[in-house]
Formats: sequence, structure tokens, C-alpha cells
Amino acid sequence: MNVITNNNLKCTTALALLHNVYDPEIGLNVVDLGLIYQIDFDEDNTTIICSMTLTTQFCPMGESITDNVKNMLQSGFTGYTINVNLTFNPPWNYEMISEEGKIFLGR
Amino acid sequence: MFITSTNNTNTKATTWKVVLPFYLYAAVSFLAAAILLFLSCNKFLIHYFQPNILAITHIMALGWGTMIILGASHQLVPVIVEGKLYSNKLAYASFILAAIGIPLLVHAFYVFNFGWIAQLGGSLIILAIVCYLINLGKSISQSNSQNIHAIFVFTASLWLLIATFLGLALVFNFSTFFMQQNSVYYLPLHAHIGIVGWFLLLIIGVGARLIPMFLISKYVNEKLLKVIYYLINFSLISFIIFFYIPVLWKYFLVSYIALLAGIILFIIYCRKSYTKRIRKAVDEQMKISLLSAAIMLIPLLLLAVIIFLFTYSTQTNNIILAYGFLIFFGWITAIILGMTFKTLPFIVWNKVYHIQSASGKTPNPKDLFNNKLFTAMSICYIVGIVFFVVGILSAIIILLQIGAALLIATAFLYNYNVIKILLHKPVKL
Repeated sequence: MNVITNNNLKCTTALALLHNVYDPEIGLNVVDLGLIYQIDFDEDNTTIICSMTLTTQFCPMGESITDNVKNMLQSGFTGYTINVNLTFNPPWNYEMISEEGKIFLGR
Repeated sequence: MFITSTNNTNTKATTWKVVLPFYLYAAVSFLAAAILLFLSCNKFLIHYFQPNILAITHIMALGWGTMIILGASHQLVPVIVEGKLYSNKLAYASFILAAIGIPLLVHAFYVFNFGWIAQLGGSLIILAIVCYLINLGKSISQSNSQNIHAIFVFTASLWLLIATFLGLALVFNFSTFFMQQNSVYYLPLHAHIGIVGWFLLLIIGVGARLIPMFLISKYVNEKLLKVIYYLINFSLISFIIFFYIPVLWKYFLVSYIALLAGIILFIIYCRKSYTKRIRKAVDEQMKISLLSAAIMLIPLLLLAVIIFLFTYSTQTNNIILAYGFLIFFGWITAIILGMTFKTLPFIVWNKVYHIQSASGKTPNPKDLFNNKLFTAMSICYIVGIVFFVVGILSAIIILLQIGAALLIATAFLYNYNVIKILLHKPVKL
């Protein structure tokens, strides 16, 4: 799934960082799992707004994953404020898994 | 553009503090039941209505099965009903009341005294279930989503309340004789409301949600789940009606067929979830849980034999014992052994490593327990079950003792791994 952004260059860096954040149950990173929907960069306010989802709304690991995303972006973009917003519209489904992710899962 | 929620607290899972005491209590209960089973092997050669067997059955049904299900369900309620758990305080109350009530009741059964200790124990257990039911009902009513899984879980909990009310009535009936028949007459009713109404409905409702989720399966079939729901409830309600109207006894077969159909449809559901999964690698914990769906058919086969033998007034005692044993030590235990190590490591991992997010590599939740011991536990368990069932059917005490000893080993290995997970300290890789 393509991630929406207003800054392709910085988004590439952000996604490279987020490749290190894993769903601990599935063992796949949040980017290939298709959890990241949008990353916008507000340069005036030095803020990054990351919109993402979870595989299920009340996922017991949800808080850990979102905190992990926030911390990972913070580690690569010092000086920025990171806002991670959860959305379930549209809800996650297996079609959102990248080709690499599907290969990892055994397809 | 996506619609975003700025407040992530709406998706918060239940705190580990609520859940973990249930797991620990259940683990200790399993060990206690296995030890008592070993010490009571000779009773399995006589009759199923024995103080020791009543005590073991209730440790397994309440201390083991129900406590771990209550613990896991407090954790999973948000996933099932897609809403927050209504109250942590009610969850604590539920634990404390059940934790006091169960040993009182079990002790009363063991010494075969149905006086005030049994009555107090039973009453506390009912209060624990009422707390759970209020918590569950409020959680569902607060949620925006009313799905079939939540209906399964809520109905199962209502059946649990009915089963425990009937159980308490039977305890009182032992001393005050206010019912039409003696308490032993009503045991099949009490047992099947508990087994089918509580355990079966709940396991199907939760399993139907979790199995596709863990397998990342494309398979969704809410209609099939509704059919299963109606079949099982019809089976149980018709069984209760036929039980109270003895002339309709011959129609028990209708209840049996509805139950069999419900279980076969659930096995089909599990199979389709499995074949349409995205995640090809299936871990041992999932395999043992999937296996337990198929294990449901074995007690059902024994039930058919019991119905057949009853019709011809033949001796059925050892078949009934094998049937009960396979339900509690077989089917229910197999699910718990698998699902404990699918849920508990994640709860503890979340507790220990949540704050360390992204500050360094952390172990996987699966690394929190010893997988070799898990495999050893599974082998001890399967061989132990086979020995014990063959021992019951053949009435050979040495087979019962070997089987029970292997189940003690299973319980020790299970407890070791559970405690290892619970005591896990943060490690950086």
C-alpha cells in the first residue's frame, strides 16, 4: 500500500526508520504490514503527523506499537514533534500487506 | 484522506494487573488437580459419583478452566467486543470472590460435607460470575460494534451463571431436599449446561475471532457462526426440556445431532480459516489449539456410546468417566495449554517492554518461555491422556497411575513456563 505524504524525500527516511518497528506477534514490520497510512511534515511547526492503523482496533499490543513508531521517528528526526494518530477508517485488511510482507509470511 | 483519532486511549487494552492473577491461580489449580488425580486413581475403578472425583472435576472446571478463561477474556474482551473493558474493579472483585469460593467448594466436595462451607463457596462463585457478567454486559453496551463473537461470549456467560445457580441448588438439596429428585439425578443437567453452554459456546465464540486473527486468514463467515450459535443453543435448550419431561427421553438424539452439527461446522470453520491463511508458518501453540477443535469429537463419540448403552440399560460407568475426563483433561486442557503460551507472553512482554519501545532490540514474546519444555509438556500431556483413558476403559490401575504421573509432569512443566514468563525481567539484545 502506498503511503500518502507531502514530502517524498523525508517520507522515504521515515519509512526506512519504521521498517525497524515490528508487530511482535506477526514478526513483520509496520510498513510492510501496511499499518502506516500517511506521514505529513509540517515544517513551520517542526511537526510530523503519522496516521496509522492496527490489525485490530483493540489489539493488546497496540499501545506498544504506536509508542514504538513515535520513538523511532523521534530518533531520526530530532527537534520535531511527533504526533501519531490512530485511524480505523479504512480498517486494516490483508490486502494492505506489501508484496515483501506477503513473501515474508510465506506466500 | 483518512479519518484520524487524536486520542489513542480509546484503543487501550486491559491492564495486566487484572489478568495475570487469573493465569497464576489457574496454573496452580491444574497442578493441584493433577496431583489429586494421581492420589485418586483407584476411585476411577468404582463410580463417577465420588468425593475425590467431584473435587477434581470442580478444580478442573472452575479453578483451571473457568479462571483462565475469565483472565483471558478480561484481556480479550476489548478485541472481541471492540470496546474498552468497563471496569477493572469489577474484574478484581470477580477474581477475589472466585479465588476464595473455589477452594471452599472443592474442600467441601473432598470431605463430602455439603454444609455451610460448600454453600458459602458456591455463593461466592456466583457473585464472581455476576461481577463478570455485569462487566461484560456493560463493555458490550458501551461498544459501537455488536458482533457475533460478543453474543457468543455473553450467552456463554449467562449459561455459566445458570450452571452455577443449579450447582448451588444441588448443594442445598443435599441437606434440605427441596427439589423433586435427589441431587445426583440433576448432575447431567448441571454438567452439560456448564460444558456446552459455558465452555463450548465461549471457546467457539472466542476461537472464531482469534484463530483467523492469529493465522491472518482471509476467511470470514458470520452466517456460519450464527448457524453454529443457534444449533448449540437449540441443542442445550432442547436437552433441558427433554430432561424435565421423561416421556420425551427418546428425543435426546435431536439435541445430540444439533450439537454434533454445530461442532462439525465449527471444525469446518477452523479448517477454512487455516487453508485461507496468509501466514503460512503455524506455531506449536496454534497447532495444539487447532487440534483441540478436532478433539471435541472424541467426547461427542463417547456421548453417543453412552446414549446407546443407556437405551439398553447396560453398564456405562467407565464410559461416563472417560467422557468427563476427556472433556476436562482432554479438550478444555488442550486449548488452554496452547492458548496460554499464545496470550500470556504478549501480556507480559507488553508490561515489561512497553516503555523500552524503540530504545533497543527486545526479545520476542515467544522467547519469554522455554519452547523445548513446551514441547516436552505437550508430549507428556498427549501420552498421559492416552494412558489414563485406556486405564479407565480397561480398569487397569497401573495405566491410570502412569497417565496421572505424566499429567503431573505436564502440570509441572506448564507451571514452570508460566512462572518463568510472569517473573521475566527486561533484557536488551
